[in-house]
Amino acid sequence: MSRPTPFLWRDRRVALAVAAVALAFLAGTFSFDAVPAALMEGMGASEFPRLVGFVILLLALVLALQPAPAEEEALPAINRCGWATFAACLAFLAVMALAGMLVAMFAFMVGVGWLWGERRPGVLLASAGGMVLCLWLLFVRVFGLTLPGGLLGDMLFN
Amino acid sequence: MEAFLSGMAVLADPFILGMTVAGTLLGVFVGALPGIGGSTTLALLLPLTIGINPIASLAFMGAVYCGANFGGSITAILVNSPGDPSASATALEGYKMAEKGEAGLALGMSAVASAIGGIFSVIVMIVAAPLLARAAYSFGPPEYFALALFGLSMCAAVGGDSPVKNLIAAAFGVALATVGIDLTTGVERFTFGLYDLTDGIGFVPVLIGLFALAEMFDQASRQHSLGKLLKLDSVRIPGMAEFRKCARSIVLGSGLGTFIGALPALGATTAALVSYNETRRWSKHKHEFGHGAIEGVAGPEAANNSAVGGAMVPTLALGIPGSSTTAIMLAALVVQGVRPGPHLFNEQPTLLYAVFASMLAANLIYLVLGLYSAKLFARISMVPPALLWPAVFVLSVIGAYGPNQSMGEVYLMLFFGVVGLLFRRHGFSPAPLVMGLVLGSLLEESLKQSLLIFQDGWVLGFLGRPIALLLIGVTLLGLGAPWVLRLVARLRGPAGRRVA
Amino acid sequence: MDKIEALARGDALPGANAGWRRRAMLSGLGGALLAAPFIRPARAAGFPQRPIEVVTHAGVGGGTDITARMMMMQAPAELGGEMTVVNKTGGSGAAAIAYAASRPKDGHTLLLVTQSHILTMLRMRLPVQFDDLVPLARGTADAQVLMVRAGGPLRSADALREQGRSRSLKIGVTAVGSLDHVASFGFARAAALQPLSAVPFRGGGDIVVNLVGGNIDIGLLNYAEAESQITAGEVRPLLVLSDARIAALPDTPTAKEAGIDFSATVARGYCVLKGTPEDRVAKLREGLVRAMRTPAYGDYLASSGQSADSVAGAEGWARQLAEYQALSREALAELGLAR
Repeated sequence: MSRPTPFLWRDRRVALAVAAVALAFLAGTFSFDAVPAALMEGMGASEFPRLVGFVILLLALVLALQPAPAEEEALPAINRCGWATFAACLAFLAVMALAGMLVAMFAFMVGVGWLWGERRPGVLLASAGGMVLCLWLLFVRVFGLTLPGGLLGDMLFN
Repeated sequence: MEAFLSGMAVLADPFILGMTVAGTLLGVFVGALPGIGGSTTLALLLPLTIGINPIASLAFMGAVYCGANFGGSITAILVNSPGDPSASATALEGYKMAEKGEAGLALGMSAVASAIGGIFSVIVMIVAAPLLARAAYSFGPPEYFALALFGLSMCAAVGGDSPVKNLIAAAFGVALATVGIDLTTGVERFTFGLYDLTDGIGFVPVLIGLFALAEMFDQASRQHSLGKLLKLDSVRIPGMAEFRKCARSIVLGSGLGTFIGALPALGATTAALVSYNETRRWSKHKHEFGHGAIEGVAGPEAANNSAVGGAMVPTLALGIPGSSTTAIMLAALVVQGVRPGPHLFNEQPTLLYAVFASMLAANLIYLVLGLYSAKLFARISMVPPALLWPAVFVLSVIGAYGPNQSMGEVYLMLFFGVVGLLFRRHGFSPAPLVMGLVLGSLLEESLKQSLLIFQDGWVLGFLGRPIALLLIGVTLLGLGAPWVLRLVARLRGPAGRRVA
Repeated sequence: MDKIEALARGDALPGANAGWRRRAMLSGLGGALLAAPFIRPARAAGFPQRPIEVVTHAGVGGGTDITARMMMMQAPAELGGEMTVVNKTGGSGAAAIAYAASRPKDGHTLLLVTQSHILTMLRMRLPVQFDDLVPLARGTADAQVLMVRAGGPLRSADALREQGRSRSLKIGVTAVGSLDHVASFGFARAAALQPLSAVPFRGGGDIVVNLVGGNIDIGLLNYAEAESQITAGEVRPLLVLSDARIAALPDTPTAKEAGIDFSATVARGYCVLKGTPEDRVAKLREGLVRAMRTPAYGDYLASSGQSADSVAGAEGWARQLAEYQALSREALAELGLAR
């Protein structure tokens, strides 16, 4: 899984990415509103973030100049299960917006449990159901928090 | 002494003892849930505790507070999700130990170190609270600035193997800390018009994302429909050999934690992170760090639990809360008719000692609980990943949502889950980022406040602050010492090489 | 042990049914969808029909959050329904205001309004403006006290005036454009001092520490925030910024007695938004005031050095809000912070 080190070896690409983020951050410091004249004492709002931005740029340069390793290890690929899990997280947000947090949690635990190789429906349903019930008892009943009900919940209860 | 004994005697009352036990158990339980900690629990239960007799309610709250700080380490060790921000330092080595199959060792050590740290700080609180509290008055913005510098100066050495990457992560943390309305100018920075960002980026979603979610994404990529095989000795709990090894880090952690906790602007999280650095610096087994060093669990755990007692010092002796949890306890104390202040120690000693007694008891209860149940808890790490990790995700979501009831925090958590995954794939450690985030706003704010306070410019200003100068000196010494030692070693020739 | 369990149970019971209903419906989606149109008219009879939400901009455990929770010890019984606190932090009240505006205006959403909300409405473009607030009742009114370090050069109001005219005094405030920032501006103008130089801190506790430590000259604090330092003789309360002396500090003159026509209190109270039915507004006004006249709430007020008349009905609360809005508009314009 290793190959001879190219000029843009891994840490150099990382350094480029770091530098890009730092530049975006620095650019952001120029978009701040002006400090009202009546408060203009001491240090303003943008000096400190700019300093931090320049420090990150400098560090990116140092990282790029580090001696390269003789050969480069390839990164382990993110497999299908990894991508699917990530998609499940996004789906979780969608379901939550639609049907509420508790429903989404239940669906997520069953879905991702299945994805990760648990195939017994009884075990999946029991663990998801038990977990959601415990959370509901603790957070809604004992602590009295309002959990997002989603569009459906709003429709039913308002 | 008489008051002390009568304070201790309240524990003989079965109702109060029952409340203390219940508080400890509840504290450990909520502490273990990511995001929900002692402060949230106490605030939500406040109306209930006000209804019962003052001593019982104070005992209950003291116990929740102590228990919650310990509970945070359980999930930090088992599933890399610090239940409380102060347990993030514990996750660094603790989870590595669990991966090696030493979950029981880590949990047991955490229980013992926590209890020792906790008890030490309660004793300090009893003996020296009024004295120690005076130190808070000597710490103004310049001193906090120097302290923040000291904490950040350690970042190169914390976490991954590459100092440059550690510094980059720390700088990113400081950069993140600038998000939100700037305290001294009122200017909005990087908020993109989102209300969720105006108060800055919260520690809780960042921590849960960086640690727990990143771990889940990482595990997902390694799923081959079979969980990792855990070694059978994961239920072994620590013995004398381990304690002897960790004695130094526990003592160091307890001292640091009590002192840092007693300063109103700093809390258990800073205490634990600084203690992790110092433990590593003074350890004889430096090479173990980053690969599951048991000392790296003992030091931060002793520190974050001793910070609990420490934070009670200014709360009780000055009426100034040192953390969000103590702020709520203060509110509850005041409603119960306890007037905090130096005079509290003379006027209402029985009530005061009852709080101490319950905190001591809570430490002992979770010590027993921790040691006996370490084997049981350790089995959690044997739950099949297909059931464990989705549950961790669900807990993370509710933990991020709960304290502010904000969906923004949930999105933030997911975002930092992805950041955390990128971090570990490219050899960065989350630890320096957390330090940068925790200390970054303190660094900037105290610097700007100092500039507003100084009458004659910053050079003269800092020269007039001996404590700040001393701290800056120590920072420079810490940064320079390795170079100096190496130089000395080289000058002394082969014989001195061991020093470096 | 029995006692708290009973309390916990007592707290849980009224809502148990509603909660179960909600969960049963959410999980049995199909049935609930079908049933919904039939359930709604049937439940529209009484008020409140579902838990009343108290929306605050403070996080769980913040001072304002605790005020709401104290009120809620009695209010659910008075109003005959459940209540719950909804914490919408962020934007100095903007998030809370936006959330309240997004809810139906049927009396089930109370907004816990502080002076910060007024300031935020003046500084940001929000869906709700001052005129949209329908005041219900005031929960707290805590006089601001001007404090200095004991043993420092500012021994009296006269010393303060004299020194404040020759140099710019440093005052600790909790944030830029905050309540006490605006108050410090108003005070300096009323006392004809040089504009104060504001040093922002994270909270009252930090201000007290820095006052004792000599890093700032004055602080505007509530009595309770510095109580132990006052008792210990480390902080001197110089002037009370209210119309009458406060019980906790009988020897401290008011600003008016010292010839400075200025007062400032930290007030928190409840409002609904315009459009809420009149009968519900009336029921809420009455229920809230009754709930806050109970001994338990009185203890809470006393613990922070406030008297029982901190609780005020709709009229007094409305007047105070209007006065405050006028002062703030002017102060923010002068400070260059207005929208």
